[in-house]
Amino acid sequence: MSRIISIHSFRGGTGKSNISANLAALLAIEGRRVGVVDTDIQSPGLHVLFGLDEKQMKLTLNEYLRGECAIEEVAYTLGNGAKHAPGRGKLFDRDIWVIPSSINAGEISAILRHGYDVNRLNEGLQRVRKQLALDYLIIDTHPGLNDETLLSIAFSDVLIVVLRLDQQDFQGTAVAVDIARSLDVPELMLVVNQALSRYDFQQVQQQVTETYNAPVAAVLPLTEDLVELQSSDIFALRSPEHPWSIALRHIATRLLESA
Amino acid sequence: MQNVVHYLKTIPLLQGLPPAAIEALALQVLPHHLDEGDILFRKGASGSSVYMVRSGWVKIVTENASGGELVLNHCGPGEVVGEMALIDREPRSAGVVALGAVDVLELTRDTFLEVLSHQPILALDVMRNFSARLRFATTYIEKAIEWSHRIAEGDYHFAIEQIQSETGIVDRNKADEVRAVELLAAFFNMVEGVRNREETLKQQLRELSIEIDESKRREAFEEVAQSPFFKDLKSSVQKMRQRDSGEEK
Repeated sequence: MSRIISIHSFRGGTGKSNISANLAALLAIEGRRVGVVDTDIQSPGLHVLFGLDEKQMKLTLNEYLRGECAIEEVAYTLGNGAKHAPGRGKLFDRDIWVIPSSINAGEISAILRHGYDVNRLNEGLQRVRKQLALDYLIIDTHPGLNDETLLSIAFSDVLIVVLRLDQQDFQGTAVAVDIARSLDVPELMLVVNQALSRYDFQQVQQQVTETYNAPVAAVLPLTEDLVELQSSDIFALRSPEHPWSIALRHIATRLLESA
Repeated sequence: MQNVVHYLKTIPLLQGLPPAAIEALALQVLPHHLDEGDILFRKGASGSSVYMVRSGWVKIVTENASGGELVLNHCGPGEVVGEMALIDREPRSAGVVALGAVDVLELTRDTFLEVLSHQPILALDVMRNFSARLRFATTYIEKAIEWSHRIAEGDYHFAIEQIQSETGIVDRNKADEVRAVELLAAFFNMVEGVRNREETLKQQLRELSIEIDESKRREAFEEVAQSPFFKDLKSSVQKMRQRDSGEEK
């Protein structure tokens, strides 16, 4: 049975999409069959990390949600474009599928205006798991707690909440943790991202663990190299020895072990 | 002339010489006058003379890593500079600059060797002098190594105590020991600096305080939890999980 892993954060800009894409890549490198979905319909970004050509993405999650196509039609394997990047090039012959959201402004505003049937999202996710015989389905959620995010959280086997060391994120994470507990999500993990080097990471891990009474899977350092890459590649595969990548591998290992 | 003889007799290095030898030497030394900022010799220059400071003060300088001037020592009346060149003929290991009006006496290597041929006792004094300095330097290098280890291990308290007790027993009337005090002071400053930086860092670490407004938290949770969508979701998830756990059994 495949496992659904939702990656969530209270606000945007926490590096959620980067963590989703890199975790998916690390699991795929380990030989698992992995799907990764961009449900952040208002500001999609996952496809960029995997080098999907926007012109080739004729159908996206948006078309599926409007009932215009089947979910299988919007699950893309990495095309030839992926070969040229040193990081995601390593994924070329791996079993990984990306389900992107539309970056078309009209599409985005249509979704925002009319909303969509969240049940259809659920059906699609369940179907794609079975059709592609996925070991892991990773959902890059929309920040905040709107309906599709609640749905993703509700049906997750693992919820990873990404937070930065700032007061607004601390507060928002508390609510997300309460929601996850109320929905009986089997496994909850926290990931601190963009931690400044002046902090003692071990101490941060302990402090955050105690605050939420939930395990902190990793404290990821603020990384100029990652910012510099501008989401043009999968960092954990491109720079595997970087502290950020090493810390992210701990999360992947944890997911593999708890399966 | 008598002044020069009198002066030479005060120099520790020459104290093994009989009065006649000192008087002969007084005829051979060359007086020089320097004004403030005048350079006696530069670091790296070739040169084989030793200079004895009669009056005024000079500074012994080298360059630090970024090319700035690093003062190693100050030498005043009765002290000798450039004496290493008497023995090894290597380029000058440091430069010497006048700090105001300075009078020095130059003793060339040739003159020195000539005196040495008549007065073998001088060789012994020179050796004794170098040997004492070497011993002194070696001791401090060993201590500095131990302190460095302690500092690296974060044992600042031990390092500071050691440095303070060493500083207490140094004889400030001896030039070499004054140098030792400077070494000790440099170490002391380093340890204090490292310790202060570490303290500041710890202070900053403590700044991470996670504050959660519990009433806002409850409010935000209730707002979501009370929505019909959430209630539906919760019950359908419960059914799904029961079904899943049933399948597993």
